[in-house]
Amino acid sequence: MTLAADSVLLHHTHPAPLHKPLSEPKRRFEQLVLPHFDAAYNLARWLTRNDHDAQDVVQEAVLRAFRFFDGLRGEARPWLLSIVRNTFLTWVQINRPADTVEFDDALVEIIPTDDDGPEIQAARNFDRKMLNEAIAALPLLFREALILRELEDLSYKDIARITDVPIGTVMSRLARARRLLAESLGAPSNISGTQVHK
Amino acid sequence: MTNEEANRLLNAYIDGELDPAKSLELEAHLAENPSVRAACERLREMSAAIRDKADYHATPAWLEARVRAAIPAGPENVSARWWRWLTPVGAVAADWLRPAASFAAVALVTWVVALGTMRPGEDERITQEVLASHVRATLSNRSYDVASSDQHTVKPWLSARLAFSPPVADLSASGFELVGGRLDYIGSQPVAVLVYKRRAHLIDVFVWPIETQKSEQMSTRDGFNIEHFAKNGMGFWVVSDLNRNELDDFARLLAEQGAAL
Repeated sequence: MTLAADSVLLHHTHPAPLHKPLSEPKRRFEQLVLPHFDAAYNLARWLTRNDHDAQDVVQEAVLRAFRFFDGLRGEARPWLLSIVRNTFLTWVQINRPADTVEFDDALVEIIPTDDDGPEIQAARNFDRKMLNEAIAALPLLFREALILRELEDLSYKDIARITDVPIGTVMSRLARARRLLAESLGAPSNISGTQVHK
Repeated sequence: MTNEEANRLLNAYIDGELDPAKSLELEAHLAENPSVRAACERLREMSAAIRDKADYHATPAWLEARVRAAIPAGPENVSARWWRWLTPVGAVAADWLRPAASFAAVALVTWVVALGTMRPGEDERITQEVLASHVRATLSNRSYDVASSDQHTVKPWLSARLAFSPPVADLSASGFELVGGRLDYIGSQPVAVLVYKRRAHLIDVFVWPIETQKSEQMSTRDGFNIEHFAKNGMGFWVVSDLNRNELDDFARLLAEQGAAL
């Protein structure tokens, strides 16, 4: 986003009269940020992998976003999503310390080897349930990159900002995520086995 | 272009993230190599299948209603809630720190500075200098010239050696121990460096007077997190290998405590 577009967004004025001056920040927050509530919830839901934890994380994240609303520059959606992610990371360290193993970057550096990849069935025939389970089973760093790219349709640049890594890392994480997904969906033995469910 | 190289570019290609020249080069390669072309098609199908079939979880209506209701209506509530969130260490700390809570709103406002006042070249140079200083000090095990957890020892020591008196905040109640201070030379001037500790992580805070307010910045270099903000005519650069979340908390506490001093 260009600087000019930034200032348009930041200095956007609202035609409605101010009935209660004190509620102005809340009203601006509701207009700029809350339209992205579903994006926040969807990301939190995919990160935590269950409804209850997602509700906790997203509630804390949105309130936190409001507290830091003055820090918003540029587009609201990636900004909110980065707060959701940070809130999740704090949450997971406190509530699911065992899961922090997934943050190991060594996982990311595994480079695909063979040229053609495994024989996979045509992706259009993927069973919806199996696909969702396979995505949920991806390690965190790959899962979040995939969700931000495919479900939020964000650019590599935005994903890099949200996940706090260079763009090249986003690219390798996405490649790895898709490849892991193809592998877990392509081999019938894996689908019915225990590997899909962690 | 080799098959290997082509395969490496496929993801960026289907995501529309490849620059035009590389795209053309890759397309020429795809036209001649059925196996890579097939891999590309499989990737596209995979991407399309995810977009089509992966669940997009919508917010439960009751949750959105609850969160909307929980958002405070006025600025006073904002600072109070913000403050409570920053002091999860307990009621004792919250009580002790409460007088500074009124500064929170001020801090929030100060935090946001116009985008246009930055000189990227200079900021980049300073970022590199503070990072280098932090790494040098850590490597040489010489992180501070004066070792003290007492702000009333560190501050006079620094003030006696500099043309300004840096604010030295006591953040021990929030889990950030002051361990000492040192002098360094950044951006062609002598600066104060306050050294804090969080678990095994050292946090260097570089402080010196600045003329123009600059925008808050965050970046990550070589695994170190770096934050910059300005407060009451002082510029602060915070460098550490501490994680981003805790360093954010630290920087915000510092901004508020700096105002209270």
